[in-house]
Amino acid sequence: MWDRLREWFRERKEKLDLFDETQVDRQDNPLYLLGQIVYFAWIAVVVSGILLMIWYEPTTHGAYNSILRIQHEVPLGWLIRGVHKYGADMLILAITLRIYRMYFLGEYKRPNELSWMILFGSLVLAMISGLTGYLLIWNQRAFWAAKVVLTVAVYLDELPLIGQTRFGSAIAFAFLGGPAEGQGTLTRFYAIHFGISALLLVAAEIYFYFTRRRRFVLSPTALVILALMLVVTSYVFPAEMGRRADPNRTPLPILSDWYFLALYQYVKYTPPLWAGLGPGLLIAYGMLVPFLDRSKGRRPSERPFFTVVGIMALTYFLVFTALIMFNIAVIGRDPHVVLLVTAATLGLGLVLEFRYRRRRKLAEAAAPAPAPRAAPARATVG
Amino acid sequence: MNRRTFLKALSAVPVLGGLGAFLAPVLRYLKPNLEPGLGVPQGKVPPDLAEGDLPKGEPLPIATLEELREPWSSKFFVFTQKYPQYTPELAKAATVPGVAIKLPWKLSFPGYKAGKEPTDIVVFSRICPHLGCIFNYVPNWREVTAGYGGYVPPEERRHGLMACPCHLSIYDPADREVPGRVLSGPAPRPPRYFTYEIRDGVIVVTGAEPGGIA
Repeated sequence: MWDRLREWFRERKEKLDLFDETQVDRQDNPLYLLGQIVYFAWIAVVVSGILLMIWYEPTTHGAYNSILRIQHEVPLGWLIRGVHKYGADMLILAITLRIYRMYFLGEYKRPNELSWMILFGSLVLAMISGLTGYLLIWNQRAFWAAKVVLTVAVYLDELPLIGQTRFGSAIAFAFLGGPAEGQGTLTRFYAIHFGISALLLVAAEIYFYFTRRRRFVLSPTALVILALMLVVTSYVFPAEMGRRADPNRTPLPILSDWYFLALYQYVKYTPPLWAGLGPGLLIAYGMLVPFLDRSKGRRPSERPFFTVVGIMALTYFLVFTALIMFNIAVIGRDPHVVLLVTAATLGLGLVLEFRYRRRRKLAEAAAPAPAPRAAPARATVG
Repeated sequence: MNRRTFLKALSAVPVLGGLGAFLAPVLRYLKPNLEPGLGVPQGKVPPDLAEGDLPKGEPLPIATLEELREPWSSKFFVFTQKYPQYTPELAKAATVPGVAIKLPWKLSFPGYKAGKEPTDIVVFSRICPHLGCIFNYVPNWREVTAGYGGYVPPEERRHGLMACPCHLSIYDPADREVPGRVLSGPAPRPPRYFTYEIRDGVIVVTGAEPGGIA
């Protein structure tokens, strides 16, 4: 048992591909540049983040003012801040698209299960890094987003049995740094925001050291184009400031950063306990999907059920984001619609799956004396 | 199970125990609040600190009855409560925004004489019992429909409502059975109430319903 587990790990470790650095010969397809874009954006964000730390003041009184100063007074401050913000957006966008690519093309299958799990986990960490990062501005959007997220944890105490340990409140308490959002929260979020990237950067360096791979396999032209994208965006759309945080007033249209918007809409629809459990289940599904999907094929049409689930997830993400941006939520009606559509789509997925399997079985039966079973499909590029 | 596996399994116990002994102080390290007075010179810690997380503060006059004469008129206020919080000074007064609303009819409100006498003034904490945002009192229900996701109240509730910007929970302050009843949205229960007295025509808030957000 132990030996089999070790063997499993050894095999996956050799096939790890975290930044698409082994996909050089496929770079004519932009989908296979995504991993490299992730790495580029990450380095840009880390460097600009360290530069921002020179001027940033992590106190509830001084944070907002220090960012105003960075944006408007410090020479090139707008550029550093813009690169940090848009670099983070680029990072999350690229990592999300890469996750979808891997999902729809079945790239999470053997022997890439471990790569998939690491990448999916890093998406979660990137989102946590984003949440802890935008609190540091100490504006209204960030203040209420942090408050809402940490209050969701409190509801985990409603779970039967394990809820009695009050671990949900303990989580909220530890992250808030006190009973309410204040200086303690800011200090801790600052530490988490910096710490996630610092530790992961060390881990990535260890990975590159042992695999002896090159960090950047992008052409210099592509790197310059990516850098220019960040600079031009920072110049044309200076990073937003929002309004200074006011603990006694929640503004009426209040949104989170774009990658949390769909989740925000979902929270309106569910009882508060499910606001925490839903994303938890989603993360669990993402982490376990390589083991749930036992089908052999890699093409989307060869595993209809999982393709349908993926399309549904993408559609919900886009639709919920659109709904919240137009501030539409009829709470008496929408949750029923969402449940019905989900059930119908899952049913459709199952029907398609069974139909596909029956057809394949018939085709196999009809085929004359099949050749001995071919070796299981390997990753196309070693 | 052979002897080797058994001994190996047995040796895991002290290893796990050691790990636990190492991790317990680490978890303690994450816990924010220090003991009151720890590392602070004698006499600098306010006495309230010892009493824990209670919504306690000085009685606060918020409005005169004259100001709240019209039905559905309201007044916002901020109640200062005192509880320990992790700050460089070790203690900080936290604030609870509230609203007092005049109703056109009388009802039993638990914050006024423990609900024994009917009253037409209700005083609520504006902290949303869903996830802790600050909700608003909106005198005109049409603004609720327009701004808070399209909820249309039934005929008998077309009056001033309370609504939260974050996740669109909507409360009826004038419900005769449960003041602050949840009409729509994800909130699990009505907002917390303030206790108040009327002293010489002035509404004085004396305390708040205990309990956190959830």
